Amino acid sequence: MSGQLRSELLKLRTTRTTALLLLAAVAITLLGIGVEGLSATLAELAKEERQRLLLGAGSSGAGLFATFAGLVAVTSEFRYGTIRPTLLFEPRRRVVLAAKLVAAVPLGGVFAVVCMALSLGAGLAIVSARGVGLALSDGDLLALAFGAVASTVLGAMLGVAVGALIRNQVGAVLAVVAYSFLVDAVLFAAVPSVGRFLPGKAGDALAGRHVAHLLTPGQGAAVLGAWTIAFVAAAVVRTDRSDI
Amino acid sequence: MAPVLSAVGLTKRYGDVTAVSGLSFELEAGSVTGFLGPNGAGKTTTLRMLLGLAEPTDGSALLFGRRFAELERPATRVGAVLDSADLHPGRTGRDHLRVLARVARVPRSRVDEMLALVDLAGAADRRVKGYSLGMRQRLGLAAALLAGPELLVLDEPANGLDPEGMRWLRDFLRAFAAEGRTVFVSSHLLAEVAQTVERVVIVDHGRLVADAPLRELVADSSSLEDVFLELTAEPSR
Repeated sequence: MSGQLRSELLKLRTTRTTALLLLAAVAITLLGIGVEGLSATLAELAKEERQRLLLGAGSSGAGLFATFAGLVAVTSEFRYGTIRPTLLFEPRRRVVLAAKLVAAVPLGGVFAVVCMALSLGAGLAIVSARGVGLALSDGDLLALAFGAVASTVLGAMLGVAVGALIRNQVGAVLAVVAYSFLVDAVLFAAVPSVGRFLPGKAGDALAGRHVAHLLTPGQGAAVLGAWTIAFVAAAVVRTDRSDI
Repeated sequence: MAPVLSAVGLTKRYGDVTAVSGLSFELEAGSVTGFLGPNGAGKTTTLRMLLGLAEPTDGSALLFGRRFAELERPATRVGAVLDSADLHPGRTGRDHLRVLARVARVPRSRVDEMLALVDLAGAADRRVKGYSLGMRQRLGLAAALLAGPELLVLDEPANGLDPEGMRWLRDFLRAFAAEGRTVFVSSHLLAEVAQTVERVVIVDHGRLVADAPLRELVADSSSLEDVFLELTAEPSR
């Protein structure tokens, strides 16, 4: 297992894909900081909700692109055929899947830490520079940081599971995009009592967003964790059964 | 001792299509065996079943007496290249081997040895997208050899090799078998096969049509090509 895990971690570091996705996450984070922090009026910026969105801006980009990174860790193996050498060296498919899931933990962790360092740092600087008081306690900041790491790590693991289910890289990426920007957003807007149980909104809750109708961070963690377990279970079944 | 490789009644059906039908043969250690058949004869499907990538519908595929997935440290027993394109274009040749070396738990020096063996030391730190087909073939071979396997399984390894590469491969396979190790190689290049292998297993429409030493099969002055075309001819012709 440890050999396979070390192999999976090396795979993530030896193509440019991970770095490019991290760069995209950083770009989305910077955009979020701009929107939440610079374009807000002083009155808006003084509010706790707005400060949460600004200081926690790193969690959206990190979550989405860490999911893509987890996804591509699986789909690229099918796209380029490296799944064959991978399975010739470790034919126990569950071991390979497990190693990819465990590798998603530091993968998601790096995305979250980089993006949250940016949004927390820039957010605090903007709040202080624009002369509004910080409405968040140290505990709130800590909860934002840990919530972002937890939701991003689970997002990367979900990405691995979705990639194992939808092996076609373009199809899998489109499915996640369509889900995130259509299903998740539309259902939450239309029927929030149901939409808040979707993985995207559970992740938002875990990341410490305080939007109306969202679950609490603890509930968000439980719901997103349950989604991850369900997708991983489906991925195990698919991985066991199908021919390569 | 269990044979290096044995297929017993190996069968693969996809819906109504039978790709491989009741295929049985064995390989002895220390031989180079050619695996021949027209396109669509079921060669690659057979190799995938032997290597645990596809589940047989019926029958068994055993390597060293066990299913591939049950071998301990399988890369030390079996090295295989099924498709020379099985490389990530954005990864360097050296990193492709390092990724696999970690699974097989072989030292980093072994990666350098294999790169030198297949003459890729100079290109090792370039991304694979810049490699020629022949370089990809050799990198795939280096990966298969990384953990020092006893059996080498190659699917069409000569595709894309120039005459020099072809001779190198032939000499390499003979030397590999001379050490008591075993080679199972599928190919379309009958003239090349005739120079390299000692035995041939020929399949057609998923069925075994010949399994014999090359010398017996082409005993009278006929060529392997003649024998092959006769064995795999459509009955109507």
